[in-house]
Amino acid sequence: MRKQYLLVLVFAGLIALFNACKMGAQYKALIVTGQNNHNWKASSPILKELLEQTGLFSVDMAISPDNKGDMNTFEPNFSKYDVVVIDYNGKSWSDKTKKAFVNYVKNGGGVVSYHAADNSFPEWKEYNEMIGLGGWGGRNQKDGPYVYFNNEKMVIDTTAGRGGSHGKRQDFEIRIRNSEHPITKGLPTRWMHGSDELYSELRGPAKNMEILATAMSQKNAGGSGRHEPMLMTISYGKGRIFHTVLGHPDEHGGPSMQCVGFIVTFQRGAEWAASGKVTQKIPYDFPNAASVSLRTDFKEMTLEDDLARIPNYDITKSTKYFVDLQSRIRNEAKTPEELQKFEKLMIPILENKDATIESKKLILHELSWMGSDLSIPVIKELAGNPALKDETDFALARLQPAKK
Amino acid sequence: MIYKSTRRDFLKRSAAVATGALILPQIIPSTALGMGGKLPPSDRIVMGAIGVGSQGTGNMQTFLGHIKEVQFAAVCDVDTNHSDNAKRLVDETNKNKDCRTYGDYREFLEKEKLDAVCIALPDHWHGLIYTAAANKKLDIYGEKPLARTIYDGRAIVNAVKRNNIVWQTGSWQRSGENFRKAVELVVNGRIGKVIRVEVGLPDGGRGVGTPPVMEVPANLNWEMWLGPAPKVPFRGISHWNWRWILDYSGGQLTDWAGHHIDIAQWGLGMSRSGPVEISGHGVYPREGLYNVPVEYDFNCKYANGIEMRVANSSQLPKKWGGATWFGEKGWINVDRGRLVASDPKILEEVIGENEFHTYKSPTNHWGNFLDCVKSREETIAPIEVAHRSISVGLLGEIAMTTGQKIQWDPAKEEVVGNPVASRLLFRPYRQPWNLPTI
Repeated sequence: MRKQYLLVLVFAGLIALFNACKMGAQYKALIVTGQNNHNWKASSPILKELLEQTGLFSVDMAISPDNKGDMNTFEPNFSKYDVVVIDYNGKSWSDKTKKAFVNYVKNGGGVVSYHAADNSFPEWKEYNEMIGLGGWGGRNQKDGPYVYFNNEKMVIDTTAGRGGSHGKRQDFEIRIRNSEHPITKGLPTRWMHGSDELYSELRGPAKNMEILATAMSQKNAGGSGRHEPMLMTISYGKGRIFHTVLGHPDEHGGPSMQCVGFIVTFQRGAEWAASGKVTQKIPYDFPNAASVSLRTDFKEMTLEDDLARIPNYDITKSTKYFVDLQSRIRNEAKTPEELQKFEKLMIPILENKDATIESKKLILHELSWMGSDLSIPVIKELAGNPALKDETDFALARLQPAKK
Repeated sequence: MIYKSTRRDFLKRSAAVATGALILPQIIPSTALGMGGKLPPSDRIVMGAIGVGSQGTGNMQTFLGHIKEVQFAAVCDVDTNHSDNAKRLVDETNKNKDCRTYGDYREFLEKEKLDAVCIALPDHWHGLIYTAAANKKLDIYGEKPLARTIYDGRAIVNAVKRNNIVWQTGSWQRSGENFRKAVELVVNGRIGKVIRVEVGLPDGGRGVGTPPVMEVPANLNWEMWLGPAPKVPFRGISHWNWRWILDYSGGQLTDWAGHHIDIAQWGLGMSRSGPVEISGHGVYPREGLYNVPVEYDFNCKYANGIEMRVANSSQLPKKWGGATWFGEKGWINVDRGRLVASDPKILEEVIGENEFHTYKSPTNHWGNFLDCVKSREETIAPIEVAHRSISVGLLGEIAMTTGQKIQWDPAKEEVVGNPVASRLLFRPYRQPWNLPTI
């Protein structure tokens, strides 16, 4: 009995271990936060959730004392982690902590500099070399050049002047400047970002720095009139730094953090900083040049979510659920069998008495190319509905080419 | 084939003569040719225009400028603002009030006795109206892209050929000196054997969301504007912006296929053929009325092993528009206002007398059409070529819509072994519209 019991225990332990591996928390991440001129109490928990969503990270938080506290007590053990996310813009760390951080990065540690983290530590030379460019805190020509894009060329501009500004908050277009980097590979070359502060006129050492994406800081919105760096990578020693200026946090994140473009580049940038590679797939809801794409609850839509919402389709409200279904079909169904798997999920929408006419029209149009004989009886039945006659004719003309 | 080569020879000879002829009117008093330098009315080409929005009016005005050769008699548009404006321009030129206006092309074709017509319409109307005009034996200057589907395109080609009319496509880059030079350099091996081609086309843009349903303005016949396309309420999107909705167009891709893909295939000697395998990826708007891809990137393989990548230019390494041929010895890129090569010396190369020369027209693209209406020769942008150029764009669209690798037989114009993708060669028309059976 005892032996058997022991065996069960060992087995259970093995399963737990297996599950832990399957959970895939391959990397350990630390979010450094606690002081900021921004709402870190809103942003840091969101960043933690975003990292955890990838299934790649286990995440700890290092919360500093507040700006009246004793900074000597703030001694995160950086060396335990694969990536350190800086959501901090506050008092200087102790020399001991600074040194530990520099050693961590020099020895190959990953860093993500998020939004106002590049406002922090204007006096700390090594930190500024890690982030490449920074703003505010008295930064000016002594801290390094402005760096921006003019047409297709990177410009290094040593003109004297303040470092750091932004125009009024608005949606803006991000332009990818290097589509070959693991972080940006496969992303649309241009995409709309949810309303955010567009950092401009950043200055810094800009050594070993590559600009992955820029955005035009519009003069008429109080900006610089230049294509300003939005996403950057920097190498420091053996360490990799991903610098995103995006994501000005409101309560519950707001559109800048809910933007799928922010979310995905943050998640990919963190993986790259931790490992030098990116294994995450680009989600179907990634924005493009046409419009902003937000996840108000920070969750990615599933196929089930799309299918549940399509029957309520109303073009004046939202078209994205249907568009995402189309993307899934394109990417996941390459054979007649795989197409039929989707067809079987779409037919119930045609049969659903409560589904909108608009939703049925869309499904009929899509089935016209990817449907099979399975759809024909239900389409024929709908042909009796005058509101759907044109679309059923259309679908049948394609599905039964003899009619053509 | 024999017919074609003799005609080519004839054209080469007549081109030389015509170049000389061009100078003549400057020396001989114009009155010698008739009233005010015009040919007598009976010798002028009587033209009409169907679709006189921005592009159609532009074409018509160019033809009106050829006052010695052309007499405009009537215009047709589903928007009376368009047709009234076009009539005003015609009447100003003709110095009378005789230009007739129509809102229905069927009535226009039935009543008017014309020699030729220039047509500029949303793509979803091309199949019906090009074939109807061809069946009336009118010579046609028709806007690219030839058709919304490969099925429609083939129907138009057949109608043009069957009726033996003169056809010129609005792919005017074929008449552009830098494009012709690029093609001659490539075809004559100045960059060595061609390995691959890149075609850069414009990026897609911002959406407009879904504007509210609104009252159709009194000047617009919305039902006729839609024609064979699905019936939808009017939301203020019609002229010009139809290009961003898949029911009417394939977006920047199909708009520009008739230009840069056309030029790229010319340089490959594939103007009357096409690729055998196509695969690619598109990025589509997620919200709103506009649904054409804002980014597109597809690869075409030709039977001879050459590959052609077509993408919005932001996705290409140099972000260049136009056609770039890469050969074993260098590359050449041509776009509007640009002709560059890996080595500038390539561009100074002289093409020998016995080497390949592109069709040389002594006049511009529109003038070439008028010349051919008179000579009955083939134009610089003939119908079969127009069809094959847009076919590449449409095959790319099919590859992106399905997410599948498409095998294509350019001789039979069939998708091989994929009945599902084959369905996308064809867009059924809304009743009562039907394409005349081929």
